[in-house]
Amino acid sequence: MKLKRTMHQVFAIARTDFLGIARNKTAIFFTLLFPLFFLIIIGFTFGTQSTSETSRVHIGIVNFDGEMINVNGTISENSTIGDAFVQNLKDANFTVYEYSAYGDKNTNGTAAYDISRRQIKIAVVIPSNFTEALSYQYTNISGMPIPTKASLELYTDPSDPTGSIIAQQSILGFILEFIKHYQEIAINQLPSGFQEYAAVLADPITVLTSEADVSGRQLRWIDYMVPGSLGLVLLWSGLNHASVAIAGERTKGTFQRMVIAPVSPMTVLVGKVISCLIIVYLSATIMLAAGILIFQVNLYWNIPVIALAIFLGAISAIGLGLIISSISKNVEAADAITILISVPLQFFIGAFFPLSIMPEPAQIFGEALPFTKLVYAMQSIMTKNLPFEAVVPEFLYMSISGLILFALGIIAYQLSLKRL
Amino acid sequence: MNDIEIDSVTRRFEDTIAVDNVSINVARGEVFGLLGPNGAGKSTLTKMLCGMINPTSGAIKVGGYSIQDNLMKVKEIIGVVPQDIVLYDYLNAHENLAFFGKLYGLSGDKLRNRIREVLDFTQLGEKAVKRRISTYSGGMKRRINIAVALLHKPQVLLLDEPTAGLDPKNKLALWEIIQTLHEEGRTIMLTTHMMDEAEELCNQVAIMNKGRVIALGSPRQLIKKVKMGNTITVVPNKMTPQLIEAMRKFSRVERSYKVYDENEKRETLKIITERAEDILPDVVSTISSMGTKILSVELSRVTLEDVFILLTGRSLREEEEQS
Repeated sequence: MKLKRTMHQVFAIARTDFLGIARNKTAIFFTLLFPLFFLIIIGFTFGTQSTSETSRVHIGIVNFDGEMINVNGTISENSTIGDAFVQNLKDANFTVYEYSAYGDKNTNGTAAYDISRRQIKIAVVIPSNFTEALSYQYTNISGMPIPTKASLELYTDPSDPTGSIIAQQSILGFILEFIKHYQEIAINQLPSGFQEYAAVLADPITVLTSEADVSGRQLRWIDYMVPGSLGLVLLWSGLNHASVAIAGERTKGTFQRMVIAPVSPMTVLVGKVISCLIIVYLSATIMLAAGILIFQVNLYWNIPVIALAIFLGAISAIGLGLIISSISKNVEAADAITILISVPLQFFIGAFFPLSIMPEPAQIFGEALPFTKLVYAMQSIMTKNLPFEAVVPEFLYMSISGLILFALGIIAYQLSLKRL
Repeated sequence: MNDIEIDSVTRRFEDTIAVDNVSINVARGEVFGLLGPNGAGKSTLTKMLCGMINPTSGAIKVGGYSIQDNLMKVKEIIGVVPQDIVLYDYLNAHENLAFFGKLYGLSGDKLRNRIREVLDFTQLGEKAVKRRISTYSGGMKRRINIAVALLHKPQVLLLDEPTAGLDPKNKLALWEIIQTLHEEGRTIMLTTHMMDEAEELCNQVAIMNKGRVIALGSPRQLIKKVKMGNTITVVPNKMTPQLIEAMRKFSRVERSYKVYDENEKRETLKIITERAEDILPDVVSTISSMGTKILSVELSRVTLEDVFILLTGRSLREEEEQS
């Protein structure tokens, strides 16, 4: 009888708490939809890009090949290889803009002008003797070819070092492939027997680069981001809601009214935790559904393991939220502390930005967070389709940190009862 | 039989004594008024009565149950109406009542019937019940605030400033509700700033100051205790400290003080005396001789508010303004 009554109380508290979110548009956005908003923005910006995609690299080409030059006392206007170079760039899916001059930053219509205005990331200047040099048209008096190097000039945007490096690496990779292709044609023109030696001498080392098959499927960044976004759910839905759960009731006075009733404070707490878990699972479902519907993510669905991982991560978030909620004087203070914690924390959990690009102290900090462990576990299970045994260390870590944070949350909650 | 027994209760907060050796008994079915300026210890005493905090020493029993030994039982027979509107504004009246009803162990038909009964009692219309609390007027919110405390049919009701901030019409409506509850036989402890409210509703009042009970009895007994019969209320065209001081020089004047009259919208001079008719001519001539014009003069019997001022040196309205 007593248990039945307690269950009624717990569910009444959980339901009322949940309606507080469901009937408040601002709360819906910040608790349930903000992580989704974040995923959509980041997802559309970077997520659908595959590693080989080059269309985002905007290149300016100044092709002087084909201009009149003097070769061995004869005027030449050959542009065959320069034109092939530009065509191959376009075929390789680079976004190519063609200019008649490199110019300067003040002259409209030139490559330098567009680099300064961030229209292009890199400009490639093809010299006027590009075709002549590569087709051995320079000869000595006796008619023997003079080895002449063709020289390409690359100009990048110093105000965007990262973007410039990406563009530069893409172009250099392309040039390497282009040269190889050119060499094959040149070698083929040699007498048979010399070709094999020439091939090895011209290209003594061959490096093949390819992505490891970690998934069994063709992956895009978004396929890692969607499972990673569950870490964000813990921060925004779990931590955020738990931190205001008690503080909000205390500010309104409803908490005092609840504890005046024949309800034990632990019953109130259990009701609140259930409501927090419902919100976390709802938010996670929204995120995953958005991943499927908006980004057509290609994931593996081990539902029981995913649900367990979310639960363990949520316990840490709720524990931390309870501590904030209990020590805060009012709901505004709890809100401020939560934002102060969750906003920076979302960049350390490896959901959107890999920890490997961060300085070592930041990496150590990020690795210590239970939310990071959830992100790793989810990416391992949902993206890489690893078996449960592969994520046991992450699950253990989340269990222990969850127990510690939740226990501290209960202690803080008990202490807060003395401040009524 | 006493429904509330407060026996030599003291409550300390570090170095501060909020409630100092207070003893009060409230008989079953009585309406008891707890009066006192801010910081007098009323809130601390109320919090102890509903089990939110424990006394440092002394004992409290509600309905015969000790709050120290049998708190859950006490919680079941006590209903608390807080001063602030403590409701979920995103829920409607019915949802609020259902929520708090479940906390008190009500469910199913029993809960539905009780909700209907308390809603009838508060006289809120059918349409209003389905609207969210955030759309309610102050008076409607107050009525639901009380209804929540009545759901589980508590024998003892603690009402903290139940009519604060209400217009006269709504205030009278709530007085009627309290009187009905009294007629039903409930024991009510009422904390109020309004002396007219205490005089109108309470069988017994206790005046608290600095953690102690400085006066205890029925409003009539307390008025008799001060042995002053009348109050002369003068509305002058201007109020000066000299005017108040001049009144104090008369023999048989217990006290003179100024209060802000809400109706007149100006400061009025109050003189508490044993026999008003003896000194009235002198009062009038003295005020006139000081160059002050008298706009009106009124004689009345001493009220509970006058008693409060005599005992504490301050008016409750001043307290209210300061808070």
